[in-house]
Order: sequence, then structure tokens, then C-alpha cells
Amino acid sequence: MGEGQTIWEKMGAIDRRILYWALFISLALPYIKPLGLPVSIAETSYALYNYINTLGPNDVVVMSIEFGVSAWSECLPGFVAVSKHLVQRGVKIIYWCVGYTDCDLTMEAVMARIPQLKGPGQPAGPGDYKYGVDWVYFGYIAGGETTVAQLADNIRNVLRTDKYGTPIDEIPLMKNVNSARDIKLVVDSTTGDYGDYYVRQWRMRYGTAVAEIGIAMNYSTFIPYYQAGLAVGALKGIRGAAEYEKLIGEFGEATISLDALNISHLLVIIAIIFANISYFMTRRKGGVR
Amino acid sequence: MPYPSTIDGIIGAWVGAFLTLAIYSYILYKETRVYRFAEYLYVGSSFAVSLAISTTQIYKQIILRIASGEYIYIIGVILGLMLLTLPFKSVRWISRYPVAFLMGLGFGVTIRGALTANIIGQIRGSITPPGATATALSWFNFAWICLGTLLIISYFTFTVEHTGWYFYPTKLGRYILLVGLGAYYGNTVQFRMTMLAGRVEYLLRVFKIIPWP
Repeated sequence: MGEGQTIWEKMGAIDRRILYWALFISLALPYIKPLGLPVSIAETSYALYNYINTLGPNDVVVMSIEFGVSAWSECLPGFVAVSKHLVQRGVKIIYWCVGYTDCDLTMEAVMARIPQLKGPGQPAGPGDYKYGVDWVYFGYIAGGETTVAQLADNIRNVLRTDKYGTPIDEIPLMKNVNSARDIKLVVDSTTGDYGDYYVRQWRMRYGTAVAEIGIAMNYSTFIPYYQAGLAVGALKGIRGAAEYEKLIGEFGEATISLDALNISHLLVIIAIIFANISYFMTRRKGGVR
Repeated sequence: MPYPSTIDGIIGAWVGAFLTLAIYSYILYKETRVYRFAEYLYVGSSFAVSLAISTTQIYKQIILRIASGEYIYIIGVILGLMLLTLPFKSVRWISRYPVAFLMGLGFGVTIRGALTANIIGQIRGSITPPGATATALSWFNFAWICLGTLLIISYFTFTVEHTGWYFYPTKLGRYILLVGLGAYYGNTVQFRMTMLAGRVEYLLRVFKIIPWP
């Protein structure tokens, strides 16, 4: 910055590294001292919550892990919150993944956050989810939308064993589960188009209810399905996750992360306002055009 | 979960923290060799994991099935091998057949649901008025969606010149489109910020400033 620069010119030429450091620090502070800012609940989050409240121990839900480790901060809290709600309701859960090869790590993270989900061979007490009986995990299945379509038609055509090598016919939960007709709800948590795949292949062809826990970007593209009655709900990234934590009464990672997100958005808004003031003031003085 | 107590858990946590800082050193400081090392390591390890998982999938979904007498899967193997001719100029034409097969299959699978979900369903959703118990806000949303849809369609109608009386609806359609794109961009910012927040949270956990989840 040379001499003779006005305050507006200096403001417009702030080193980006200063802004990034400010952002980094502003994101860290709410984790150290949570602010507990209020969370209002969106209609789509309520809708998913209400739909799951209609399900019970005789129903089977598919939780489709379509996000990688890199999107944990956005998708995992919502995925965990919905899983916890399903456990509260006693609903049977099938976990699988059609899109991301690192879903085993995600499944480990889900199990670590929901102690009731007992792995294969682990003893299950009252209130716990026994593996194979109350929940099952099939791991990664290659094939994209073609596989999603095949799973809707006949799960056994695609899956012969679970993740741990147990034949599908020896898994009690899968005894009466053969196709999308036997599934009450599929909750797809995605960073991509997998929500669309399930709407096209499961909802439109078999009438299975579909919901999405997507990254915030996906919310804009998925919401038309909800408005058209083709989806029963959707969570908008970390915000939707915080809303769901509030709905099930278990405040967790998303609620704290939302504080950090609010502060960071405030910083971005302030930066945009000052950058625009700087731009217009500099232009008025015959600077930038 | 308690803080990692095993040697591999502790090393894993600290390596993760080091690599996070190495990657963010690009925006917080400048491009350095440490940043490049972390970047190459990320690309390499991601590829290695994908390769290992894909190989396992081929073994489980194809090889084991053929070995158990399901010979129909040999067709898939042949098509897959034909794809591998792509890098060789003299036999590249062979790869066009599996590509054509994949495109046809993808289109066929997608179109059967897409027509009803993305076109008929959306039209039905847009023109169906709210029910008898709907609030004033629901009616406003309904009117806004109908009007907005028509105005945006008018903007994308290129067979009629956007002049005269037709200029105004197309202009309005363009503004509505920009509002939509703005909302989409806002959601993108939220996603990126959350990813950064996740890494900041991870660093705070590894440095024991906040408890492990």
C-alpha cells in the first residue's frame, strides 16, 4: 500500500491472508465458547421428523451414505441425528453406500456417535440395536444410478453378502426385504445427485418415500421434489442438522457448528459491505472503473 | 469418544492436524513445499484408496460370480476390457462400443424416472393450488412459483425477439433467475464455510482445546 492512499483504497486492498486469518479465528471462537444462538426450524426438517414419527419397529428404512469424509462437517451431524431418531423409534435400519468408496470410515463415525448400534459379535443389551436383527451395513456398492435402480427392483440381484461377508439370506433383518416395496423410507445423505437417483428409481417407480440430508448447495435443487410431493423432507446441511438435533432433543455437533457458521457468515457480510463501500468510494474519486 | 489413546490413534490425529495446517498454509501464508507435499499426498492416497476399493468390488461383484457359474457377467468383463483400448490409437475404435453401451444404458435407466419426476412431477407441483386449509403464505408461494416459472421460461424462449412488450417479462424472468442463482450461491458459501469449520473444530480437538466428540 503506497502513501497517499485514502482509507477506502486501503480497505479495498486488504491482504486476503488477513481476512482468512480473521475467518479462521472467528470460526474457532464459538467452539471454545458456544454462543447458543436460537435455531428456527424449517418446514422440510419438520416434515422429515413428522414422517419418521409415523414409523415403528416393523418398518425398514435405508440410510444411504453418499458423502465422503471430506463432507463430514456438513452431512455427518444430520445423518447421525436422523439415525438417532430412527433408533428412538425402534425402526430397522439398512446402511449402504453407492457413491463413495470411503464410506466404511463414515459408518465407523456413525457407530462411534450412536453407542446403541452394536457391531457384529458385540453383545446387545436392552435398548441396543443388535447387528443383523435391528440394523445391517452393506458397505460400498459400485454402479451409480444403475445400481440404485437394480436395488429398487431386487436387492438380492446386487447384494449377496453384507459388509462382513454374512450371506444376505442369513441376515434376519433382510428376511422379508427384497425390493424398494419393502422399504418405508430411504434417507439419502449426499454431496451429489444421489437424491435425484432415489427419487427417479425408488419414489417414481415404487412409491417409496425419499428424503435427503444434503449439503447446503443441494437443498436448492432438491426442494422442488419436496414441493412437488415427491420427497417427504430434507435437511439443509449443517443448519438442517442443528434443526433436527433440536427436534429430537439431543443437542450435538451441529448446534455448536451452527454458531461458528453464523459468526463466519457475519464476517463475510461485513467484508462484502466494506468491499462495496470501498469500491464505490474509490470509483467516485476517479480510481477503479 | 475419548481422545485417542493408542499409538496409531494419536499419530493419526496429529498427522491429520499437520496435513490440515499444511493445506491451509496456502491461504493463510503462501504456497510452500509443505503445502505441495500435503496436496500430492492427498491426491495419491485418495487414488490409492479408490483403486483398492474398486479392485475389491470387481473381485466380489464379477470374479466371484463368474467363478460360481454366473457366466453372464463375462459380458461385463469383455466390455470393460474393450474400454481399455482407449489409449491405443490403432484399436481405439473398439472402445466406442462399450461407451455407446454405457451411454444407452445410462440414458435408458435415467429417462424412465426422469420424465415423471423432473418434468411431469414438477409441472404438477407448480400448478397444483394449495388445499382448503392453506395459509395466505402458501397462496403467495403458489402464485410466486407459477409466475416465476412462466417469466423464467419466457427468458429462455429464443424464437421470439426480446423486444417491445415481450422485453418486460423476459427482463423480470432474468431477475428472478438471478435471485435463484444468488440463493444457490449463498448455499454454496454455507457448504464451504462448514467444511472449513469442520477442520477448525478438528484442530481444536487434536490440540485438546475442546473435548474429542
